[in-house]
Amino acid sequence: MSALDPRAQDAAQPDTKPGKKKILVPRVENGHETMVEIEVDDAEGSGRPQWGPRDALRLVNHELVRVDAVDKVTGCARYTHDVRLPGMLYARFLGCPIAHAEVTVDVAAAKKVPGVVEARVVRDGEVKFLGQPVAVVAAKTREALEDGLRAIVLGIKPLPFAVTREQSLAANAPEVNRRGNASKPNEEGDPAAVAKAFEGCAAVIEATYEVPIQHHACLETHGAVVDVPTNDSATVYHSTQATYASANEFKGPLKVKEVEVVNEHMGGGFGSKFEAGVEGRVASELARDLKAPIHLMLSRRDEFLCAGNRSGCVQTVKLGGDVQGKLVAMQSSIDRLGGLGGGSHAGLPYIYEVATSVRTMRSVYTHLDANRAMRAPGHPQASFGMESALDELAYALGVDLVEIRKRNVGDVHRRQLDRVAREIGWNEHPHKSKPDLSDATTKVGIGFGLSVWGGGGHPECRVTVEISPDGGVRASVGSQDLGTGVRTYVTAIVAEELGLSMSGVTARIGRTSYGPANASGGSMTSASLAPAVKHAAFNARKAFAESLAKTLKSDASEIVFDVQGVYDARSKRRLAWKDACATLGPAGISATGEWQAHLASNGIHGVQSAKVRVDTRTGKLEVLKMVCMQDCGLVLNRTGARSQIFGGMVQALSYALFEQRVVEPDLGIAMNANFEDYKLAASLEIPEMVAILDDEDTRGVIGVAEATVVPGHSAIANAVHNACGVRLRSLPLNPDKLLLGLAGLKKG
Amino acid sequence: MGDPKRSGVDLSRRGFLKSAGGLAAGGALGESTLAVANSGLLGDGVERLSGEVEIELTLNGAKRKVKVEPRTTLLSALRERVEPSLSGTKEVCDMGSCGACTVHVDQKPAYACLLLAVDCVGKSITTIEGLAKGDELHPVQKAFCEHDALMCGFCTPGFVMALSACLDVEPEATLDELKEACAGNVCRCGTYPHIFEAAVAAQRAKQGAKR
Amino acid sequence: MKAFELARPVTLDQALQELEKDSAKRDRTKLFAGGQDLVTELKEHLVEPDKLVDLKRIPGLDRIEVQPDGSLVIGCLVTLATLAEHAETKNFFTALAEAARSVGSAQIRSQGTVGGNLNQRPRCWYYRHELAPCLKKGGSECYAYAGLNKYNAILGGGPSYIVHPSDLAPALVAFDAEVTLRGAKGERKLALEEFYTLPAEADVTRETVLAPDEILTHVRVPAKPGWSSTYVKFKERGSYDFALASVAVAVRAAGSPRTIQDARLVLGGVAPKPWNVPKAAEALLGIDGVKTWTAAGNRAVAGAEPLAHNAYKVPLVKGLILQAMEALAKR
Repeated sequence: MSALDPRAQDAAQPDTKPGKKKILVPRVENGHETMVEIEVDDAEGSGRPQWGPRDALRLVNHELVRVDAVDKVTGCARYTHDVRLPGMLYARFLGCPIAHAEVTVDVAAAKKVPGVVEARVVRDGEVKFLGQPVAVVAAKTREALEDGLRAIVLGIKPLPFAVTREQSLAANAPEVNRRGNASKPNEEGDPAAVAKAFEGCAAVIEATYEVPIQHHACLETHGAVVDVPTNDSATVYHSTQATYASANEFKGPLKVKEVEVVNEHMGGGFGSKFEAGVEGRVASELARDLKAPIHLMLSRRDEFLCAGNRSGCVQTVKLGGDVQGKLVAMQSSIDRLGGLGGGSHAGLPYIYEVATSVRTMRSVYTHLDANRAMRAPGHPQASFGMESALDELAYALGVDLVEIRKRNVGDVHRRQLDRVAREIGWNEHPHKSKPDLSDATTKVGIGFGLSVWGGGGHPECRVTVEISPDGGVRASVGSQDLGTGVRTYVTAIVAEELGLSMSGVTARIGRTSYGPANASGGSMTSASLAPAVKHAAFNARKAFAESLAKTLKSDASEIVFDVQGVYDARSKRRLAWKDACATLGPAGISATGEWQAHLASNGIHGVQSAKVRVDTRTGKLEVLKMVCMQDCGLVLNRTGARSQIFGGMVQALSYALFEQRVVEPDLGIAMNANFEDYKLAASLEIPEMVAILDDEDTRGVIGVAEATVVPGHSAIANAVHNACGVRLRSLPLNPDKLLLGLAGLKKG
Repeated sequence: MGDPKRSGVDLSRRGFLKSAGGLAAGGALGESTLAVANSGLLGDGVERLSGEVEIELTLNGAKRKVKVEPRTTLLSALRERVEPSLSGTKEVCDMGSCGACTVHVDQKPAYACLLLAVDCVGKSITTIEGLAKGDELHPVQKAFCEHDALMCGFCTPGFVMALSACLDVEPEATLDELKEACAGNVCRCGTYPHIFEAAVAAQRAKQGAKR
Repeated sequence: MKAFELARPVTLDQALQELEKDSAKRDRTKLFAGGQDLVTELKEHLVEPDKLVDLKRIPGLDRIEVQPDGSLVIGCLVTLATLAEHAETKNFFTALAEAARSVGSAQIRSQGTVGGNLNQRPRCWYYRHELAPCLKKGGSECYAYAGLNKYNAILGGGPSYIVHPSDLAPALVAFDAEVTLRGAKGERKLALEEFYTLPAEADVTRETVLAPDEILTHVRVPAKPGWSSTYVKFKERGSYDFALASVAVAVRAAGSPRTIQDARLVLGGVAPKPWNVPKAAEALLGIDGVKTWTAAGNRAVAGAEPLAHNAYKVPLVKGLILQAMEALAKR
């Protein structure tokens, strides 16, 4: 090392921010060593970790390659479905094929099938929803398993059922819920004040908007592989959003004190995988009783019928505004349709400011499985009602679609609206305040939708960062990765703090024993986990610095970790990372971290826009382009964040175009519990997509996933109207509805 | 099958709620299916397979002996019969509607869930585990990593196999052709824009390698 | 799937020996080629045969032969991918190549065969639901008639309202194709149009006249020099779906202004069989343009009797005919 610049001694500069200090460190740039000034956390000054200025970040907030990408592209990533244990038995449920019945289950013949080890009743008597598991079979092979399931004899006495809102509310409807098929409406607001406010409106629109029940459609179905419990403990492989917490659910049925849940990779959750469920309980009982590992994953059909859903809704909206498009009065009534569950709806007027409003909301129950949380529960439903009504009002008032939104939201949304409008080409769009009613055979339209979400964190994660004398660094946490790239940002945060490259750190997640972690819900994983990781890495660095200070006879505050290793500003000595680690005792460093409120924030905003083309001869609807601008505080991984934004937009697109649970209203049987008839958007439906990360947001970490799925379908439906004048008030936007709508326009 | 006499439930619109009785979800089993291992040519020169039979599959270039039934799908054989399991090929719909089980059969893309394992004897089967040449990833695999063309990763093997099957035969494939090549696959996380970026990057890498 | 025996004959005669003669027992033995439809039927237990007869070891059925006169003879084991990429088919029987290319996905096309595509069973979700004993499964009711019939027939329906799902069939009918059926007693040839039946005209549980002990071995497509053609398929989901409706059009046109001298027009996805509408084709004759296209569209759906949820197919068919004719005019 060449002679060092004496300025390096001048550690603290006077103009530094609180909790920061500036120091000079040697850097090799283009082969030449120079001294550069960098700002670092003044550990002694603030005593707590900081993200630091964004432009000084080296890994976090950059475009990162997922650390587990190679495992996923080579088929090496092991999911629960893939677990194979010696002597393992395959188990599956038999579900009730109709919506409501009195059932007897005879498993005698199934037990006699060669290769079948066990057949059991899971439920008999009254079955309350279509697809409810009534029996289970465990067998040595998948073929024997199927033969066993086929050999079960169900005695079914069909009972009167209600699978639609109309059936549930009919005068002679069968009882679905003991306290009534509709819950008592909850009313908010003053109806008299709203009625008066409508009188002063320049225009008032009234309409009913419907969204169907949507499925999570996780590609990996729900389920677990339960290993044989030993005296006091057991290992369970579980596709779950709650690796740490779900261990407790298995203890009872396994009759053990300790359960290690393993969840290295999971094939989607979207809010449906918080609980062990009937599949987890039955798999545990079988493993315990048969003393064999049990692989019990739901079949695709089961997944559609008994693994939750996004509730549908019917919402009637009356909305009035003044001449400028300021919202003056709103009245709404909302029926949530969540099967046996209460359903979810974020309420109206959703994110918009309306001077006076009143709403009533209730649940209408049916003989279908209960809804579960699904990516931004209640928000996409509310978005469709609100954005559609707002759009209708804009046309009635003759106010620009962007302007009317800007007039009724806050600053962040206004700024995002301008940017998104520019990106989608709104300013050049030829028909902003009325649809194209010409004779053209293809028509283009643009629509908008807005979103909000929380996405803040909670103090649940406990992260361990270990530095070993051989130079290895390991971060461990009992969290899980639903596909957001948790391993990658854990790696980046630790590597950033310790001055290492991504390959210098190993992140371990997906085991209960790695430490407490929150369940992944509400987009709260990043804001809960990242601060704890930062804290653990900060503590590890501090401990390492203290240890080194002793060895080097320096002071911990003089020790700097950067990409070239470790630098002691006092002695001006530089050590390679490995050499510095070698000074550690055999135990190395082990530091833990917990949630740091100041490293996370809460509350995000997004604006989306869609451009569509409608072929008026065939009703073909093509989405040409979608744009999303989204804030989410400090972005941990820019590539991963964009992936999630795209993912939200794609799911909303799919919801707009295709998705709906179809149950035969007369027969009470499932018509589309498969991927042929339950259609998901695929490659040829995907438009040009633009994801803009809102870098004006200088806050701490906030989760981004949920907000991105909220408004896309509303923007698409609004774009259809802007294109051709057909207002589709129910999803999905199928060509049959569009064609009939176009025919209706022609008739005038 | 849905024999109305056997099902016991009258699923006619008129009579639906009136009926009661036993529904055989499966029905009586026929003769034992696992009892006899029977394979070979009988006197009439027609090969007959039934019960459990041992076959030899060529999987990722290696010959592997595996016991299957005639009804065992290639997907099931890969995941549940071959030792050690080739579980990179995913079971998602098991009905030829999602693409997660895409493999190459004699270089052509196929849904492993719709093929019988016994029908694959003598064919060259490549699964996601066998796509890389040793440590060298296939250009599609490499591009998927670099362009973040995956999230949960459950559909990823199928997309990689569908796109690599296309590019291995059509190194000049356009973006539209690449989209068409994976139109029989679904991704629930919605990674498509990055999948398309990766597909184009892989196509360029293949072009570069050719020159 | 229920367990079955797999028989692998190496000659057609051997294969015929394996088949049931008795119509009542015909589903106990199933012919097996690409399996892309059959395996799904087995998995759903819509059929539970004791035996599959694999045709793939019989030589000679996997070839497309171009005859000296330009006609095609297509073996039943030719895959859809092969047909879609076949040079003569693309050049001279464009609608057929386009139809082959429109089937399913790349994975389906690489394995699925011409014989399988022509003989595939309906996609009606009542038929595909094991517990709905519909007419097609030997039951007494067509559930679609008063049920969720968005995907069902507007033409030729009753008592069953399925639509035939084949994409190749409308294109082949438009080319006056003929099929060879080989039985124990020898072979018979008939127009593909005659191969398909309407539910009211024949056994409602079948879609074709194929006897239980017959095999569709070849399709012959006569040469049509000077003709141009196209197949336009409208899918609810563009990526991978069956047709809500489709149109196969073949025309012989000449002169300026372009004049249509002869034409065929066949619809798919709207009737229990490929719906050949010669009267609509006739309306296309004369000077080519929107006027004749519109007239053909009106004639094509003449007599349509939409059910509660599929009236949209009427304007859809008309729109597709306009699109198809526009595409041909531009060639």
